[in-house]
Amino acid sequence: MIGLWIALGVVGVLGAAGGYGWSRLMKEHKEARSLPLNAVDFGRLGDGTYHGAYAGGMYKWRANECDVTVTNGRVTGIQLAGSTDPGTKNAQHEVLYDRVIQAQSLQVDTISSATLTSKAWLQAVENALLQAQHD
Amino acid sequence: MENELVAQTTQRAMGTVMSHKAFGLSAQVSVAAVCREVERIEGLLSRYLPNSDIGRVNGSAGTRSERISRETYEVLSTAAQFSQSCPGCFDTTIGPLVTLWNRGRDSLTQPDESSIKHILPLVNYRDLVLDPVSMTAGLREAGQSLDLGGIGKGFAGDKILDVFKQLGSSSAYSNLGGNVVTVGAKPDGSPWRIGIQHPRQEDRLIGAVSVVGRTVVTSGDYQRHFVDGQGKRHHHILDPRTGYPSESGLVSVSVVAERSLAADALSTILFVAGMEKGVAFLRSFPQAGAIFIDQDLRVYVTQGLRARFEADKGIEVTVLD
Repeated sequence: MIGLWIALGVVGVLGAAGGYGWSRLMKEHKEARSLPLNAVDFGRLGDGTYHGAYAGGMYKWRANECDVTVTNGRVTGIQLAGSTDPGTKNAQHEVLYDRVIQAQSLQVDTISSATLTSKAWLQAVENALLQAQHD
Repeated sequence: MENELVAQTTQRAMGTVMSHKAFGLSAQVSVAAVCREVERIEGLLSRYLPNSDIGRVNGSAGTRSERISRETYEVLSTAAQFSQSCPGCFDTTIGPLVTLWNRGRDSLTQPDESSIKHILPLVNYRDLVLDPVSMTAGLREAGQSLDLGGIGKGFAGDKILDVFKQLGSSSAYSNLGGNVVTVGAKPDGSPWRIGIQHPRQEDRLIGAVSVVGRTVVTSGDYQRHFVDGQGKRHHHILDPRTGYPSESGLVSVSVVAERSLAADALSTILFVAGMEKGVAFLRSFPQAGAIFIDQDLRVYVTQGLRARFEADKGIEVTVLD
């Protein structure tokens, strides 16, 4: 009898863990499909340096961290603080970071350029900027 | 009230990152529909999907023609017209060369001259056989392959415009990794301001162009490039005549036009053709305007864009006759 309860308990724990794992997996799938960078209000940034991190997709291979500096209410610098992405050496994140600085300082709606890739870099920037935002 | 409704999303597709933004009552629905449309178009045109129309035509090169959708046919026949009107500037059969150079990009080495010479005869748009009756496409020689890098995102842009319009969006834009399409004006009635990337300073724009319901497509030598062991910069726009990245003296060309497919092809053609030949070629497209930037970073705009292009501080602009 006790053996049966133990067995049922093990099944229950495994089921709960599996369900939790599955829900996280689905959440990360959903997250990876769309990484919007529109939650930040650039008009409400407090001065300081803010650390932002993005955990990456389901295999964490695009995880990255950055430090965003806000001076006089404007983003003046973004530094990569760490990354698990082997593509970091290509320095593409610098291009993306520069575009954040550029888009706020010039009154344009969007930018036409030769084709550009990658978005994960921007997620850490957004996470840092959300911390910088006034309530 | 309607103007306050807005939806925006980003999407990874066609080898790049896209963002779509719409205003109005149908904003949410149309942005979601646009994302699905892009996936559908990628499913037709990607050469990396073996079962796409293009994947099948490539897979059967030298063997047989393949039945393709009406849309793929439209892209291929338009591309063929552009190839004929400017021979050597634009060629969708550039696939084998792109593959060769991509291999080089990964290993940061330039393909050797003999491989390029060996592959170059395979690049020939005349070997693409299109049959409008049976709606088929085929490549004559084994080893040939299509690559719609210079036109596929342009076509997707046009299809996005159709979706926005069908769903009643009167104010929207999509940025397909640098190719911008717009529907109408901004909700307040003012034109969309589209920044033009400075080709040599990553944190700067060379200027901005104001547009209503038009598309802005830029071809430049500054993205997807690599620097080889000798420090030479290789970009992604290959000259179908030489097999090497185009060296026409231009570093960026932006085309402003009504339809995105034509703008995409035109920006590539003008970039490869160079300033003089490009300006002459553009005369056949009176509805289109262009912003040329040469290797000395001099900026030239066509007459029609004179009032709509605003250069950044310190940038001098010459208006072309």
